[in-house]
Amino acid sequence: MSSTLSHTALPDADLSRALQGCARGDRASLRSLYDRLAPRMVGVAMRMLRRRDLAEEVVHDTFVKIWEKAASYDPARGEAATWIFAILRHRALNVLRGEARTDLVDDFEPMGLTADEPDAEALVAALSESGALRRCLETLDPRRRDIIVLAYTHGLTHGELAGRLRIPLGTIKSWMRRSLLSLRECMA
Amino acid sequence: MSEEMRDQLASEYVLGLLEGDALAEAERFIDEDSSFATLVEDWRRRMVELDVTAALQPPATDLWDRIETSLGVAKTAPANPRRQRAPRSGVTSRLWNSLPAWRGVGLAASAAALVMAIGIGVLMRENARTPVMVAVLLSDQNQPAAIVNAFGDGRTELVPLTAITAPEGKSLQVWTLWDRARGPVSVGLMDAMHSLDLSVQNLPRTTTDQLFEVTLEPAGGSPTGRPTGPILMKGNASLAL
Repeated sequence: MSSTLSHTALPDADLSRALQGCARGDRASLRSLYDRLAPRMVGVAMRMLRRRDLAEEVVHDTFVKIWEKAASYDPARGEAATWIFAILRHRALNVLRGEARTDLVDDFEPMGLTADEPDAEALVAALSESGALRRCLETLDPRRRDIIVLAYTHGLTHGELAGRLRIPLGTIKSWMRRSLLSLRECMA
Repeated sequence: MSEEMRDQLASEYVLGLLEGDALAEAERFIDEDSSFATLVEDWRRRMVELDVTAALQPPATDLWDRIETSLGVAKTAPANPRRQRAPRSGVTSRLWNSLPAWRGVGLAASAAALVMAIGIGVLMRENARTPVMVAVLLSDQNQPAAIVNAFGDGRTELVPLTAITAPEGKSLQVWTLWDRARGPVSVGLMDAMHSLDLSVQNLPRTTTDQLFEVTLEPAGGSPTGRPTGPILMKGNASLAL
């Protein structure tokens, strides 16, 4: 299995071992995951939630979940970092879509349109040049590429993308479907 | 459902685009259909590179303590785990961190340790003698039970006015609340009321009306990271004149 995160100094074997430690009830293993991943995790959650307090709450919940679920992590099914970030994203999306929705709206709109298009470009530029994701995203039309990047990094829905990019909802949905299909073909 | 539609569903699930029935359907497939779970895993692996582009944001210094508090009753953690971890700055930090070592050096050294401890006390008082914010914590009988003093340098202490010892298997936990969206945050844990520096490092400075309270929790602190037991005392901060 390719080590997607190896260039970020996250050797997957170490993370995987730490998860096995957590499954045995070893708190030092959880702490080692925390020391290595928490700053990145807060960063990912901040991009989606925009508020540090909510982001840290999500990271808190994620580590509690890692502790509880570590025994169910199966290295044969995927990388440890991917597993951990999936828990984080799931929790952040729940907060974004559910409980804090009304709280977020106020912060959300003013930061709107102006900041976003260069943002998507910068995000792509920040991807590893040797990575497949960057190579494949760069084959897409810029606006179709941006909707994928903005949806993933900021947790925007189809409707929010339509509103912010001033593109009809149906168009966003069909662009998204086709872009994801192209991405899959490119990355297969 | 065609293979292409299944993959479409997996990709939109990973991007966080699904809501309502479609989301529930995808989550059911993940649990019940391992080939669908593999499609999801493939998309996660493709997209996780974008997570690596997120800026590193150092977490608040108390985040780990809050996580550990939520893991359940601490079996191996010391009664006051904060003391081992929360870094203090400067000279006091080095002295403070050597406190556990002092315990080990035996009777001969204890007099010297006492002198040093007094030295630290003086140093701290010199640092910031007058509290900026004060909260008087009242019991449910409306009797003053403790005072919280927040100093200009951020240090915040709890001073008990009533002796309370937690029953066997219980702890006293100190909380503060300044933002309902964030909820109460644990700032201290003890078995009996005593003077305590609260763990407020990296929390916003104490503000007017900020709530402080002490609750009775399972030994080692609330398993949920939120107050679960009865409130023994509470009070709101006011500006000291």
